[in-house]
Parts: sequence; C-alpha cells; structure tokens
Amino acid sequence: MRIVRRDLVRNGPGSVKMVPVDSDDLWFAYNLIAPGDSVMAATVRKVLREAASGGRDAERVRLKLEITVEAVDYDKVGSILRIRGKNILENEHVKIGAFHTLELEQNRPFVLRKKVWDSLALDVLHLMATCTYPGASADLAVILMQEGLAHIFLVGRSMTTTRARIETSIPRKHGPAIAGYESALKKFYDNVLQAFLKHVDFNVVRCAVIASPGFTKDQFHKHLLLEAERRQLRPIIENKSRILLVHTSSGYKHGLSEVLDAPNVMNMIKDTKAAQEVQALKDFFNMLSNDETRACYGPKHVEVAHDRMAIQTLLITDDLFRNADVATRKKYVNLVNSVKDSGGSAHVFSSMHVSGEQLAQLTGIAAILRFPLPDLDDIEM
Amino acid sequence: MPRKFNHGLDYDDDDYGDEYDDYDYDYDIDSDAEDNGNLPKPNQETDSSSIWRCSICTYDNDQSMTTCDICGVLRNPLPLSGISNGNDLKTASATVRKDNTSAPMSARFSNSSSLMMSKGSNVTGNENNQLKDEEHNLRSSAKSPGTLSSYHEGGVEHTLPMDEIKPPILARSLDSVSINDRGGTGKAASWGQYKPEKWMLPESEDGLLNQLNLAIVGHVDSGKSTLSGRLLHLLGRISQKEMHKHEKEAKLQGKGSFAYAWALDESPEERERGITMTVAVAYFDTKRYRVVVLDSPGHKDFVPNMISGATQADAALLVIDASIGSFEAGMDGSKGQTKEHAQLIRSFGVDQLIVAVNKMDVVEYSNDRFNLIKRQLGTFLRSSGFRDSSVLWIPLSAMENQNLVTAPSDVRLLSWYKGPYLLDAIDSLHPPTRDVLKPLVMPICDVIKSPTMNQVSACGKLEGGALRSGVKVLVMPSGDVGTVRSLERDSRPCAIARSGDNVAVVLQGIDTSKVIAGGVLCHPNFPISIAKHLELKVLILDGASPILIGSQLEFHIHHAKEAARVEKMVSLLDPKTGKVMKKAPRCLLAKQSAVIEVVLQGPVCAEEFSSCKALGRVSLRALGRTIAVGIVTRVIEKEP
Repeated sequence: MRIVRRDLVRNGPGSVKMVPVDSDDLWFAYNLIAPGDSVMAATVRKVLREAASGGRDAERVRLKLEITVEAVDYDKVGSILRIRGKNILENEHVKIGAFHTLELEQNRPFVLRKKVWDSLALDVLHLMATCTYPGASADLAVILMQEGLAHIFLVGRSMTTTRARIETSIPRKHGPAIAGYESALKKFYDNVLQAFLKHVDFNVVRCAVIASPGFTKDQFHKHLLLEAERRQLRPIIENKSRILLVHTSSGYKHGLSEVLDAPNVMNMIKDTKAAQEVQALKDFFNMLSNDETRACYGPKHVEVAHDRMAIQTLLITDDLFRNADVATRKKYVNLVNSVKDSGGSAHVFSSMHVSGEQLAQLTGIAAILRFPLPDLDDIEM
Repeated sequence: MPRKFNHGLDYDDDDYGDEYDDYDYDYDIDSDAEDNGNLPKPNQETDSSSIWRCSICTYDNDQSMTTCDICGVLRNPLPLSGISNGNDLKTASATVRKDNTSAPMSARFSNSSSLMMSKGSNVTGNENNQLKDEEHNLRSSAKSPGTLSSYHEGGVEHTLPMDEIKPPILARSLDSVSINDRGGTGKAASWGQYKPEKWMLPESEDGLLNQLNLAIVGHVDSGKSTLSGRLLHLLGRISQKEMHKHEKEAKLQGKGSFAYAWALDESPEERERGITMTVAVAYFDTKRYRVVVLDSPGHKDFVPNMISGATQADAALLVIDASIGSFEAGMDGSKGQTKEHAQLIRSFGVDQLIVAVNKMDVVEYSNDRFNLIKRQLGTFLRSSGFRDSSVLWIPLSAMENQNLVTAPSDVRLLSWYKGPYLLDAIDSLHPPTRDVLKPLVMPICDVIKSPTMNQVSACGKLEGGALRSGVKVLVMPSGDVGTVRSLERDSRPCAIARSGDNVAVVLQGIDTSKVIAGGVLCHPNFPISIAKHLELKVLILDGASPILIGSQLEFHIHHAKEAARVEKMVSLLDPKTGKVMKKAPRCLLAKQSAVIEVVLQGPVCAEEFSSCKALGRVSLRALGRTIAVGIVTRVIEKEP
C-alpha cells in the first residue's frame, strides 16, 4: 500500500490518502475501514437523464464521490472491496444522501477519513507502509494432498486463499483392478498438475511446498518433474530447487497448520506474520495440554482473566474488530492496549490464515495466563 | 420373550472393560424392539376380506394389501403429510395415534417407531378391534422360540402362505413399510418390522464353514504380511510356482526377505518400499472356519486404511516383533502402532485377540523375552478392555515356519512352550454372531469399475441381512437403486451371501459414479440415514492433545472418512459409571469420556450404534494419531 498523504492526529480525527498495490492491501483496507468513516474515491455511476424526446437515457459517468461508510464487504474470490454508504459530497449528478457502492480497486487512490484513529488502526497503517517491498511477501504456494484429494493454497502476508480443490475417487488395488488404480491415480496427478501450473506463478511465490501423508507427495513430485521434462515446462524446470516436500498427517485443510510448522518451511517464512501466528497458537495449545488452568478462551473468560491482570499473551482475531459496533471495538482495542501496557503481548491474527481460522473456531479470542485461574471453570462461557 | 440378538460371546457384559462398556448398551434397546412385533396399531381402517384390482397388472389383491402382489404398485398413493407422523421419535405415541393415515400398514409402523421412546406402551393398552385376529397372530407367533424372531407383520402372516423363496413377498410386505420409512427417523424400531426371508437364514446343515474375518494388525515391520503370506503358502492357497515367482522377483529387487509378503502386497509401490499401504484381502480355510485375512498396514500414515480394514473384523491377530528394541519401539505411546492398533481393534467391538509374538528366532526362542512381552503387553490389553481369557499368546517365527500350522519343531521352543500352534488358536476362536435378522447393510470397502460393461463391483463385508442375484439394493449416499447381477467370494462366484461374508457384489443398472467406497448398500425399503451433524459418545485416548470447541479432526466411520469440526461439547462423563459429571466442559483431555456434537464437511452414512453396530462406530484422528474412539448416539439433522 502506498501512502500518498497522511494528515491525522493520534487518537483523533484525520485522513489518509493511499493506493492499494496488491490484494493484501485490499485486505488491510478492509480491516481499516469501519462503519462511520468516510471514503472518497473515483467511481462510476449510472445516471438517468431525460432526453429531449422524453425518453430516459442511462449514462455511465465517472465521478468522485465521498460516502459515509455503512457496510464494508470483502470478496475473497475476486479480491474486491465494496463499500456501501450515503453520499456526502455535493455533486451535480448524485444527490446528497443517495446510496452508492464504491468498489476499491488496485492502483486507484482513495482517501479515508476517520473520526478517531485509534492505536489499532495506526498499527495497521504502519504495517502497510513498512511492508511495501516485494521481498516481505510470505507468498508460499502449498499443495496439500492425500490419495484422491488435493488443495492448492496461496499463503500470503495476511491471508491464505484456496486456489483449487481437486477430489476424485480412486479405487483400491486388489488383483485385476491394479490397472484401474494406476490410471485413476495418473489422471488425478494430471489434474493437480494442471491446477498447479495455472495458479502457481514462480515470479510471485517464494517457493512451492508439496505436502501429504504417506508417499503421495513423492509420487506426485516425481510425476511433476517427469511431465515438466516431457512437455518442456520452463517455469517448473527452472524452479526445481524451490519445491519442498513436507510430511503432514492428513490432506484436509487443517493440515495446513502442520505444513507451516515444518522446520524447512518455517525457515522460509520465519520473518513473516504468518509464522508468528502459528507459533503463538501452538504455544496456546501446549499450555492448554500441560496446565489447563493457565489458558482460557472465549470473551467472558478472557475478560475475567483480564480483570485480574492475569493475561500474559492475548490471541485475538481481527474479525472481532471489524464491523463491530463502536463500543465493542473500543473494548477490544482497550483490551489489546492494556495487555501490551502491562508487559504482556498481544497477537492480532488475520482471520484469513489457517491459524486465524482455527482461533476463530475457538470463539476468536484466547489467552495464555501468567498464573493459574482454576475458578474460571465455574463461570459460564 | 426370547432375546433376538443372540450375541454368543457377549462383549456386552459389564463385568470388565472400563472404558468400552458404555458403548454396549444394546440389550435395553433389544427388549424394546421385541415389543414392536406385538403392539397392534390403533387407527387402522377396517380390512375387509374383499379384493381389489390392481390398475396396472389387473391382479386381484387381498384387501389388506396396500400394494399389488405382482407389480408392487401402491394401491392408494399416500400424501406425504401423512408420513411424517411417526417419524419423530420423541413424540409420544399418543400424538401418533391421533393421526389418521390411509394406509393401515404405515400407521402401524409409524406407531411402532415411536415405541423406541415410549417403553410404556404395551400390548394391553391398545384398543384396536379390527386387527384382533392379526393381534392374535402376532402374539402367538411372538411366542415362538428359537432363532426366528417374531418380527412378523400380521398382515403378511395370515394372508399369505410362507412361500419364502420368492423375494417379491418380502418386497411386497415391505413396500407398505417403505412409505413411512423413507422419511422416518424411527429406523431402529422400523427395522423391527423386517422379516428376513427363508433363503436369508443360514441352513443348519450347511456343510459350509462359518466365515471368520481376521484382521492382522501390529506395528510397522512386525511381520504381518510375511506371516499371512506364509500361512497362505502352507495351506496351499498359493501354488509353489507363484511363490517361486515372488521369490525370484523379490531377490531381483534386493528384497529377498519380503518374498512371502509380496503374496499380499501386490502393487509396485508397496513392493518397492517394502510396506503394506492398503488392506489386502485373502482367504484360507481351517478346520472350523473359512478365514478372510485382512492384512493391514502398520505404518503410522496408513492408519486410516487400517481402520477401513479393521471395521470388518470379527477377530484380530496382533503381531509383535520380539526382537530387542522393536517391541519397545512398537509400545511407544506416540510413535508406536501396537497400542493404537490394539485400542482401535477393541473399539470396533473385537474382543477375541490372538497375540502372535513373531521373530522369535531372532531372540533364540527365549522364554524370558516371551514372558516379558506377555507381561507388558498384557497389562495394556487388560486396560484397553480385553479380557484375559479371550487373549491367546502364541510365540512363532514366520521366517522359519515355527508354530504356524503344526507344532513347533525347534527344540528351544518345544522346551518351554506347550500351547496350541497358530492354526489351532484360530480354530479355537468362538464363532462370531451374525445379524441375519436385520435388513441388508453392507458398507462398501472398495469399488471396482469394469469399463467394458455398465457394471460396477462393490466389495465389502455384509453386516446384516443377505444378498443373492436379482435382488434390488439401494446404494447410499446417492440413493440410487441397482440390481445384483452376481456375487463373488474369493474370486469364485457364489449364490447367496449372508451377514458376515466378505464378498464382491456386481451391480447392474446403476450409474458407476454413484457407487463409492465409504457408501453403504442397503435394502431399498430400509434406507439408512445420511447426516452431517452427529452426536457422539467418545472416549479420549491417552496421549491426545486437548480438544476444544472448533477443533478440526478427521472423522472415520466404517469405510468413510471426512473432515469434522467439534461443534459443541455437551457433557463430560465419568469413564467408569457413564454418568454425567459436568455439563458443557471447556475442553476435553486424555482419558476422559464425553458426549460431543460434530459437524462434518460432507455427509456420511451413519446410524445410531444401538440400531446398527457397524454403522455406529466412529474414530476421531488428528495430527496423525487417534484421539478418540466412540459411537454415534444420535443422528442430528438428517439429509433427505
């Protein structure tokens, strides 16, 4: 995200003009923009005009509109951010108070004006500004597979997208049916290879990981290299060394966290947010299994723990901030701030990452405590 | 009232086995099911003894029949609204009685489906007069002892001779049931209405041996495939020529010692790596049984495949590597498979176990080593729920052919071992009980497509009912109906397959893509439920990481597996007594027992454990280990 102009007061009103550069930036914008703010951007509006003959004429006009945000919607599949709200800028075509939906696109500047730039928003801004150089992108392409099922994920800086899912039924191999097994398996690998070529661009991703339980990954890797040789697929041949093999216990989506945990993959991504999140969540689960009373999850329990100044590490998903009403958002912001102030650490998980999803399943907020609190059990969740 | 489910060696006994007891609460439900046949139904229409003419085939049917004798067409197509009456198990029978359905049969069954909950409703409480004769029939037939259950349908009883050879008879009587059952949740009770045909029941002077499904499990490289290969060779199932071929090929690849294992590991992958990856099925005969060998993989990554094989097992052979270090590695909690396999086997209801301590030649047939293994493993098995009396310990060596099919010849072994050899031990196992009295249920283990004809073969073990050519079966989860063209057992065609038999069913008239491994073949009139949302009673195994709400796990049931999420943790149970200790626990730790709800990513065929054991056993895995084993207590939110 390129910040063109910044004009704000800490914990006060202000505006920022910025240009999203890649899809991750749209995600950041999604986190920043909350109902009540106002956004100004160039957009297209269908305007009805009365022609001389009395017939209505619809014309698409490019204009600059500023709207107060009512709802923000992020389209994962198409990477589009839609902001819906009422117009507040005087305009010859659009009345004040008319509803409009802005679509924020890449490489188009927009201005965000907020009433209160709280610490969280400033953090996001800071993060966006510093991560502008391409090297910081954690882009990792992961092919997670098992016999008959394969997923292709792209693990980015702040989000993980599922690019493809391939599922086929592969017969078992007994006696005469072996031939059928081989051909079905080969067809499966071909499908996965096609998806791989389509979605994995080695110019963007740092490396590709093939992960599976058993020997499927080795078989697929062999098949991949053979096909690349046969069909002279330059991208794969050149980047042979950037393909890693990792062992997981299953081919389902939650196996992705195991992939990120593997040592050789961890090396690749250790400087990124994704890795930190995975580590923090792992710590939480370890604590839970070792000493149940020193870990808690759920808003009520975490609040109680916070009241007693017991939180050492706070894990929270950004889901909870986004689109919440002002009071709730303020509460969570305060929570994060006070944990940081009291010497603890707070991790804001991106809900688009696997670890963020896992945390979201557990109500979205969890904490590792400084000292055990056994009476939390009695409190309703 | 005679008990319908004669389990023989009853693992339902409460006097042992702490953790797994809870799952075996069949008997209560059984006694309820018995009542079904007896309870006459209140709101029946008068069945006059006049006849009605079928509009399609113009056959004159008896008035009491709602479907045509010949063509199976319904007499009065029922409105769907009438069906839903008895479907809610929880509604009291009173609600059902109020509803009036036009078909006498379906009303009867809808009533009986509510029986599951209302144990109180009894024979005497009924005020129906019209079916007095039927009642009488029911009662008298109910009193008939013996293996034939009194799941009689009164209507069938008195109007038709028991001319059992023709399948249509059963189909006809069940057609009337079908309307109700298709939408019904009262599967367990409505199965009570199922009357097996005569050809389905095993003839006593069979001449054929009982079939026994034996799963071979154990830690990786303990010698499972080699042992199975040896046995097959010694019993003449593999010709000398074939064996020679295997040996030659094995030596060529530098894997001379795997020669016997190659009899079972047929794919190039398995041979190259020297492991078993999927369950191999082979057959051999002993004096008492026709044994189906299910050679499972021992590798940690292939436990899902092993689960698929072990669900079919009646008894198990746990192979242990006696060499120094290997046994200890196998017993390791997190890396070894010995314990995990033993626990999984037990959770599938297998209570007869033969522990084969293999590779005794490496330890010089030492008695001490054998006793050490027996002591250590014995403690574990006892804590898993195996009774000491049902575990047999056999030292042997597959490579040197000691103690397999004859008494040992090696002096060292003879000096201290006086017990039976392996084949004798297999013969001494108790015959497993078979649910022939239940409608057809066959979980599909494998699907083989033959591209030449529009045929597909489904392999699996029949868990209930029986099959023969020409019978129509319903394939779940797709819901399509196909016809059985032929049956094959052990690469030989066979005429009838009964519950407990491991067969390949060639199906015709069905789209080949609809038959998948993990599906179930069932009777068209007794479909089984498909669901995504299930309530389970589970036992968390030790060494498991804590389970929280939202934990992602892998859900295994018969041959199907799905990704699952823990939706809700209903209650924590006391592992010993089964009573509710705490409601809505925060997290579940090892060795705890709890009731939880899971939501699956895709639908699976599942039934409550009380109604169908094979379709009710589940195991949950995560991160390459088995976290929990359990049973389905409730199917929430069935798919249509």
